[in-house]
Amino acid sequence: MRKVLILDARDNIAVCLADLAEGDVVQQDDITITVKNKIPRGHKIATREIAKNDGIIKYGERMGHAVAPIAIGEHVHVHNILGDRLSAEQV
Amino acid sequence: MSSPLKAYKRANGAWGLRNQVLILPMHSALSSTARAIADNSDGAVAISHDWSGEKDNDLARIIFTLSGYASNPNIFATIFLSIGNPEEEQIIKGAQALGLTRFTNLLLPEIGSMEKLQQEAITLANEYVKEANAQERVDAPWSAIVLGLECGGSDALSGITANPALGVASDRLVELGASSVLGETTEILGAEHLLAARAIDPAVGKKIVEMVARYEDSINYEGIDIRGAQPSRGNIEGGLSTLEEKSLGAAKKAGNAPFTGTLEFGEIPKVAGLYFMDTPGHDIEQLAGFGAGHINVVVFTSGRGTPTGSAIMPTIKVSTNTPMYESIPDLIDLDAGTIADGIETLAQVGDRIFNEIVQVANGQLTKAERGGHHEFALSRMYKTVVK
Amino acid sequence: MTISIKGFDHGNRGAGIRNHQLILPTVVCSTHVSRRIATEVGAVTFAHQHGCGIIGDDVAGIDNFFVSLADHPNVASVLAVGLGCETIQSQELAAKLLSRNKSTQYRIIQESGGVEGTVAAGVKAAHELSNAFPSAPAAVAKLRVGLDLGREVDSAAALEQLLRDEGCEVVVAHSESSSAETFSKLSQENVHVIISFPSESQPASGFPLIPVINVASNGVLHQAIRGDFDTDESTLLSGIVTLLTEVAAGSETVAEKSKSGEIRAPRVVRSA
Repeated sequence: MRKVLILDARDNIAVCLADLAEGDVVQQDDITITVKNKIPRGHKIATREIAKNDGIIKYGERMGHAVAPIAIGEHVHVHNILGDRLSAEQV
Repeated sequence: MSSPLKAYKRANGAWGLRNQVLILPMHSALSSTARAIADNSDGAVAISHDWSGEKDNDLARIIFTLSGYASNPNIFATIFLSIGNPEEEQIIKGAQALGLTRFTNLLLPEIGSMEKLQQEAITLANEYVKEANAQERVDAPWSAIVLGLECGGSDALSGITANPALGVASDRLVELGASSVLGETTEILGAEHLLAARAIDPAVGKKIVEMVARYEDSINYEGIDIRGAQPSRGNIEGGLSTLEEKSLGAAKKAGNAPFTGTLEFGEIPKVAGLYFMDTPGHDIEQLAGFGAGHINVVVFTSGRGTPTGSAIMPTIKVSTNTPMYESIPDLIDLDAGTIADGIETLAQVGDRIFNEIVQVANGQLTKAERGGHHEFALSRMYKTVVK
Repeated sequence: MTISIKGFDHGNRGAGIRNHQLILPTVVCSTHVSRRIATEVGAVTFAHQHGCGIIGDDVAGIDNFFVSLADHPNVASVLAVGLGCETIQSQELAAKLLSRNKSTQYRIIQESGGVEGTVAAGVKAAHELSNAFPSAPAAVAKLRVGLDLGREVDSAAALEQLLRDEGCEVVVAHSESSSAETFSKLSQENVHVIISFPSESQPASGFPLIPVINVASNGVLHQAIRGDFDTDESTLLSGIVTLLTEVAAGSETVAEKSKSGEIRAPRVVRSA
């Protein structure tokens, strides 16, 4: 059974299909990732290196941006990303 | 790819995937009579509603909705039940202008009582049903399909299973020449600029953004901030991080195809393509808008499950997760939860949804049709309370 | 002289002139399942389009409206049927209803195995309620009569006085255009029975929990469908006490026989 789901080839995140623990190794197609921290099912994991302010790409579309650098295998969520619209409105 | 479709050809060139006889009450007091007529007929269907001829700010919207609904190409004939008000004439004239050819207007004051009206309508309905059953389906092009995309009772898996899988099917249909319509303005809030970027020209993109802004304004007038609390705490616990992500997940029902145009609530698409229609998130009100817009088949994705169906549009229900599919088997036609369990890919489930749409278009009954679910609700933009 | 009525003891709801079991759909999505249950057990239900996609003040407004229906004196017991994911959570609503009246149960489609499962569970629950709360007779000390004035009625003041002289409490409501919302408002005032004077362009109509006596005007529409009305305005005063007494004692009005009447709750905000 697959543990992650990459929704579009352009994406830099995958969706976890199971609860993942630090050190787990997950695979889809030719991508192999070592999980960096605990990630619950339904949450996102970085499949590429993401620099601060880089876009977060899901479904091949930009759903927000990183507010800190994110390494491959890290949990991607409200602690390290922000929606583009919301932050634009707050500024 | 040549079309395997067989459908009912209407005089105005539109295609029906069903051949229903609709009983349409023009007044709330006739709604229970309309239901009784349908229940006692050989297969006519009825809707009920709570409009009593009020001439308030929603009058034009209600007249437009009922005209469009009564003339949906899935209808063979419509029997109107009237009180004798001028607005009812307007509704019938509107339906004729939109392609309705076979209909009868039964006037309560001419017939004398609700009881007699009921008897007369049953006889008439049975004649229409007999005629409708005698009509045969003929070879139809892909453009015969006008698909409505809907979701309700969403969960954390909606955006990664059922919705993108439906998007795969929608993209394929649009590519083949069919039409597909995404609704629910409230669901695309925050992703409107992303959808606008997929418009075939800047004017269409601008219109998508404007429709969302207009919706927000109409909500904000009551001091309700609908964007501020999104994504909700439950969404965040489920793994959604931004409003764009949540709305993209809902909008994924419309796949990746470019948007050909926008439609007002209940407006009929004129050329084949992918559209966005300005409808409320209320599932049943939005289905009324789809029916009025001459959509002839609907796919409804759900995380929680719903019995919802329509008197005139076959409604295919797709579950986002397998446990729900297994717990309420008589509500859901297809399960997309297999994607989350790694058993099937998006493409595989997309294929299954595509094939189901084709089968249902050709006459296979959905679970909601078999269960006789004919929910209907008028969509109002204004308050009904007179202060 | 005072109208004296033998009714039904409905506990906290008060004494009623009908002994209705109400199958209460808490959302439009559960109206079909509710109708199947009601048909099977001979209970009362109604179609409506509320319970979901509501925002702002309407959430509490519609919630309170459903509570008032379930609290109505003509109601013997209530089975609330919800979908599960709607704005008005049937479980919360049922808890509220249960805290007010013990003769209450709820079933949820998403937790009862879908449509067939919920119909089966609902029928069972409805029978349980009927068995556990058999009707007991009670005198209705004061008949509460709602007057729905949808048109100018010359004899309105005289009628009101006559009813008060007979010992009734009278609640007067003026409908703006149709009776649907006025009936809802009067139901929240716990009237046992309604005397309705629809406008000359409106047909007769009913309300699921409350017998409605429809009074015809001399207008063209009303006289054309005279059979849908119970009485005429011109002869109202001489016959109303007898008619009211009969209806209160259980005789069905025309609208009750035809089961006419949709429920429309007042709304203050558009759908979301």
